[in-house]
Amino acid sequence: MLAYFLRRILLTIPTFVALMFATFVAIRLVPGDPVETRMGEHGITPERLAMLRHQLGLDLPVWRQFLAYVWQLLHGDFGTSLSTQQSVLTEFLTLFPATLELTFFAFLFALTIGLPMGAIAAVKRGGYFDQALMSVATVGYSMPIFWWGLLLIMFVAVDLGLTPVSGRIDLIQYYFEPVTGFMTIDALLSGQSGAFLDALHHLILPAIVLGTVPLAVIARMTRSSMLEVLSEDYVRTARAKGLSPLRVVGLHALRNALLPVVTMVGLQVSSLLAGAVLTETIFSWPGIGKWLIESIGRRDYPALQGGVMLVSLVVIMVNVLVDLLYGAINPRIRHGR
Amino acid sequence: MDADLDIGLSASLTEAALAPGDPAIAILAAPSPWAAFWAAFRENKGAVFGLSIVAIVVTTALFAGIIAPHSPIEQFRDAVKAPPVWETGGSWRYILGTDGAGRDMLSRIIYGARVSLFIGLAVMSVSFVIGIILGLISAMAGPLVDVAITRVMDLIMSVPSLVLAILVVAVLGPSLTNTIVAVTIVYLPRYVRLMRASALGELGKDYVTAARVVGVGLFRLMFFTILPNCLAPLIVQAALGVSDAILEAAALGFLGLGAQPPTPEWGSMLADSREFIRSNPWIVTLPGLAILITVVAINLTGDGLRDALDPKMRRS
Repeated sequence: MLAYFLRRILLTIPTFVALMFATFVAIRLVPGDPVETRMGEHGITPERLAMLRHQLGLDLPVWRQFLAYVWQLLHGDFGTSLSTQQSVLTEFLTLFPATLELTFFAFLFALTIGLPMGAIAAVKRGGYFDQALMSVATVGYSMPIFWWGLLLIMFVAVDLGLTPVSGRIDLIQYYFEPVTGFMTIDALLSGQSGAFLDALHHLILPAIVLGTVPLAVIARMTRSSMLEVLSEDYVRTARAKGLSPLRVVGLHALRNALLPVVTMVGLQVSSLLAGAVLTETIFSWPGIGKWLIESIGRRDYPALQGGVMLVSLVVIMVNVLVDLLYGAINPRIRHGR
Repeated sequence: MDADLDIGLSASLTEAALAPGDPAIAILAAPSPWAAFWAAFRENKGAVFGLSIVAIVVTTALFAGIIAPHSPIEQFRDAVKAPPVWETGGSWRYILGTDGAGRDMLSRIIYGARVSLFIGLAVMSVSFVIGIILGLISAMAGPLVDVAITRVMDLIMSVPSLVLAILVVAVLGPSLTNTIVAVTIVYLPRYVRLMRASALGELGKDYVTAARVVGVGLFRLMFFTILPNCLAPLIVQAALGVSDAILEAAALGFLGLGAQPPTPEWGSMLADSREFIRSNPWIVTLPGLAILITVVAINLTGDGLRDALDPKMRRS
């Protein structure tokens, strides 16, 4: 068990090195000299340019620059944002809770609806509900979520006025210092009445938009996994024992059908973060995705590169965690390798 | 795979039992691969429906010049934000209305089919070909190359697709070509991994050993002996890859990092449509609907392909 864990963690090291190399090369490929970019259009004397280049280590051989870059990264220095002059890591950590909160609620939405829907469709296989659900799932899976978000804003937020159009909370009514960075938790901590509900209210549309594709994937996955499990002997045994259908499906079948769904959930983290870029842009949600897009607009390449690096680190770590979790609940995996 | 084997076996048995020229052969012989494929594909009504929509979209794209009533980039200054024909104030001149710059929506959507399909097909073919080559090399060229290729693919997969595409576009600059490059890089690992996995599965089989014993060269072994036996899942992946590429490119366009205006790309048509949400909803609704319909149609077709080509992957 421990050997499996260690091996899985060691396997990520080459990926880390490759990631560092890739971001390093990407920085080189960006057109324009970093010093001149930073100085703007005013221009500087050649002596000062040489001095700044020396300060930044740009006059060293490329391999030493790479080693210096790796050294920096290993010390938690992911660069300095050109536009705010803040450390990229600090900016990332300030904004990441907003993205995490959004993805958490999106996932909650996808799971609470997708799991039961997929299970019911499997039980009623071939029926109207099954067919309707699978059609809806195909549409959900194919949804361009940036457009879906605009549509929901148009109908739900603007026409019907049911939800706010953008943002995380009504800033005019509620103001409190961020403690955790999670608006819902901070709202509870602030003790202001109504703040928590307002934060939730702001989360509804973005969570639905971001959760739509995972919802479709989870529903389809649960359905096919359930179909497989339902034909197993132990389910027949449970039925034969005279257990209630609800107990058979909910307890005996669903629990076993969840295994492949867990793996898939882990794989969805990467696509959730990709979707967050779009969702945050549409809803002006101050998270990592919106920040990355704005960094491009501002030509803030250090922020972009550091941000991409950090996002990838998160994805790699989540994948390792999911693998470990999977190894823990499914012994066959551990002994296989 | 097993099903294919059965069909092949029974076909050869029937041929052996009957004298050549026997009219029964025509009836008993296994149907041609195409006929067998079509028979299996036709069973799935959704897939046939999807395929017909795909056919319509492809026709629209091919004959955009004839079908479209206006030029997709001409700005009719006298008819800015004209509503579609069914709304009050709409006219048959601009059936689906015009956008914020007075360009005919219908013509832009028709020409957009051309752009989106081109992106989808270009990304699919390039990543398909490179993916197959890299996957085969990875499976057959020894552990060092294998580890190198696998690690790089792992790396690409560890960056969220859109974030990677954004990084590539930020480095190369936003344009239609760079969109294709970026999305190709994003989707390459799928083909490489699939190819590698199926090639590794085939490598241990007897026919490969037999070919090796006979002295078949490496190139021939890779592309003529092993590859044809791995194609089914790759083709399915390629079909679904077209729709994913269209979605990804549209997302880049929406973020202003894809095709640049006035190119009639569905995603970039939505880029600054947010300001029209309240006043001119058709500018927001229609391009997205075009994306959704196309992607759903391709996905339905892809699902049908999977069921027909690869019974093992069939999700009951």
